[in-house]
Amino acid sequence: MADNKETEYVTLVSSDDFEFKILRSAACIAGTIKKALDPQSGFRETTQNRVVLSTINGVVLEKVCEYLYYNQKHAESKDVPDMEIEPQLCLELLIAADYLDV
Amino acid sequence: MSGRRGRPRAAGIRGPTSALTSYLAANNISAVDIRDSFRQRQQQAEAEAARAAAEGAENGEGPSNTNDEEEEAQAEAESSAMAAERSRKRKRNQEEMVAKIKKGKAAKKSKDAKKKKKRGSDDEDFDDMFDTYKKAKPLPGQLENCELCNKRFTVTPYSKNGPDGGLLCTPCGKELAKEAKATEKAKKPVVRKGRRKIESNRLDGLTFRGSKTLQQLCIEKLAKHSDDIEEFGDMPDSLMNRLSEIFSKKRAMKSNTFKLFLQPELTSLSIHEAAYLETEDFSQIFAVIPNLRKLSLRNCCQFKDENVDYMMEKALHLTDIQLLGANLVSNDKWIELFIARGVDLKSLKVEWLDAAFDDQAVEALATFCPNLERLKIERCKQIGVESIDAITRFEHLQHLTLCFQKEVPRARVVNMIHSIGPNLRTLCLEKFTDVEAEINDDLLEAIQTTCTQLSKLRFSENNECSDAGYVNLFIDWANPPLRYIDLNSTRDVDNTNPEGPEDFPIGLGSAGFHALMQHSGPKLEFLDIASCRHIDHAAFTTVFNPAKTYPLLREINLSFCPVVDTEVVAGIFRCCPMIKKVVAFGCFQVQDVVVPRDIVLIGAPKAQDAIEQFGQVVMDFQVEMQREMGQLGAGRVVPVMS
Repeated sequence: MADNKETEYVTLVSSDDFEFKILRSAACIAGTIKKALDPQSGFRETTQNRVVLSTINGVVLEKVCEYLYYNQKHAESKDVPDMEIEPQLCLELLIAADYLDV
Repeated sequence: MSGRRGRPRAAGIRGPTSALTSYLAANNISAVDIRDSFRQRQQQAEAEAARAAAEGAENGEGPSNTNDEEEEAQAEAESSAMAAERSRKRKRNQEEMVAKIKKGKAAKKSKDAKKKKKRGSDDEDFDDMFDTYKKAKPLPGQLENCELCNKRFTVTPYSKNGPDGGLLCTPCGKELAKEAKATEKAKKPVVRKGRRKIESNRLDGLTFRGSKTLQQLCIEKLAKHSDDIEEFGDMPDSLMNRLSEIFSKKRAMKSNTFKLFLQPELTSLSIHEAAYLETEDFSQIFAVIPNLRKLSLRNCCQFKDENVDYMMEKALHLTDIQLLGANLVSNDKWIELFIARGVDLKSLKVEWLDAAFDDQAVEALATFCPNLERLKIERCKQIGVESIDAITRFEHLQHLTLCFQKEVPRARVVNMIHSIGPNLRTLCLEKFTDVEAEINDDLLEAIQTTCTQLSKLRFSENNECSDAGYVNLFIDWANPPLRYIDLNSTRDVDNTNPEGPEDFPIGLGSAGFHALMQHSGPKLEFLDIASCRHIDHAAFTTVFNPAKTYPLLREINLSFCPVVDTEVVAGIFRCCPMIKKVVAFGCFQVQDVVVPRDIVLIGAPKAQDAIEQFGQVVMDFQVEMQREMGQLGAGRVVPVMS
């Protein structure tokens, strides 16, 4: 990458201070994270390579990360099997997904 | 060996015997003994062969043989018991045979396993010795401790073998069988979704590349567990609506789940499928949501007069009302509602009303709700020409959709367009034909002269207006280019003359289509020209030739245009960079078309295989486009415009 500040991995931080280090390319599947990390936006996140998501707790964020990798893995494949989601997590995850735009 | 042992067994057999058996018995030959000795010899040979291969054999008698002999000795002892027990013994003998066969198999299996495990080691001899001295397995009828749970139980011929070779009690055996079945099931490969499901997804506008969005996954999961949800919590409106949609689609919108959607702070409520809801549920809406502005209930069969009363009393901010199939609301109640909402009412949509809602109701609407901006009345059986005249009086109407069951004189419709046309953004007229009046293009002329702000036009199922009429409409029309055009089923219907009258072409024809695309092409997003049979091939190829582009066109319906072929469809893919959905039912000449990625082609009866084969192809022009526009977000769901 041209910009030497851009690392391969970025850190997502949940409301209860769990940190998830995931591939930048996967993280940017989520529209909100992509915007936050966009070098043109000038947000602080771009220099720190760290996004604090204060509305999402660790359990949900873990699932979100799982989804981001799942999405990346299946980006070009056909007839993708649905990802398993625990029913009790669904509502929180849905709100998080809406917020993150995935 | 045979004679002595055979006798009691033969004596125990009752019931029908064949002539051969009795002859052999008379000569002191027993079939059972022959079989026994055969098996013995066979097992011996097998055991020897195994041993020879393992180079460590000394003892000719295999473990299973030993067992057999022990058993038989035991059987002999038993069978020499009292004659009174003979009948019971016969049964036992049979069971014994079954047990023996079972044991033989198990022994063979364990031998095979051993063979595989260690070849030629000294341990094998030891094992064999061990087997020889191992306690014999109990026979059916005897007691044994279960290998797994250690409970004491009676052995039957059906007792299962445990993992270590012992016997299992009935519950443990069942458990084991169940587990075995489960693992067998799990091992089966996942069956590919059937063609029907694939086709169904295609019709829903789902493309197959990539995964679903996380939101979609969650929403689908929620719909599956609709009965277990306690409350939605703080959900954005857009998500509430999508949940309502999927609950409706899955027929999960019932009294209990419906309550989830009632939240006091809401201002709009859409229930897309309310057929399972009861009268009391509808009253709940107005009790819970005080600031309701927009209400949309489809198939609200149980919406009654009392609900309308309660709505008038409670929902004092209601401006948009959509009620589909509310047939239990009486005519007078509709009028009362219009009086109550009066000048506040901005939008009314009613469909599928046949018992009530007549011309008087529309009259009342026009009188008491002058500020109405949006009106949709479709398939309401009672209304006719008087309603058309009443609609003429709306001064602020911007969106009008009408589909009448009764025939209305064309002059009245023309009159209506003349008076409200200038303000209209949306005009949808379905099936407005008049067999009594002389065939002419007055309707199209009225639209052309009065409407100048339209962005959506539907003028369908009309077999009167001529091609020339459409040409006139679109050439030099003061209206800016339209976003949405639906002219489906505008053609002449005459079985004896399928081509239509030649001197006076009826319906949207080649020239009209040309004019349409000239006028609206640059802004057009949705085009429906299904069943416009008189557009010829040359017109299609000129309109969709690669030199032209229709930058915004997203969805096109060409169904039952018989001349449409592979060339035309390929031309559409090339001319329309934003195209997402091409509908081509009944276009038999579309064959072997290469469908670019992220575009859905529906229908095309002869191109099914091609669609499945090529649906993933990235075309060169798509690559170029992507390069120009940067990384294009691949939308999974095709927007279906209404």
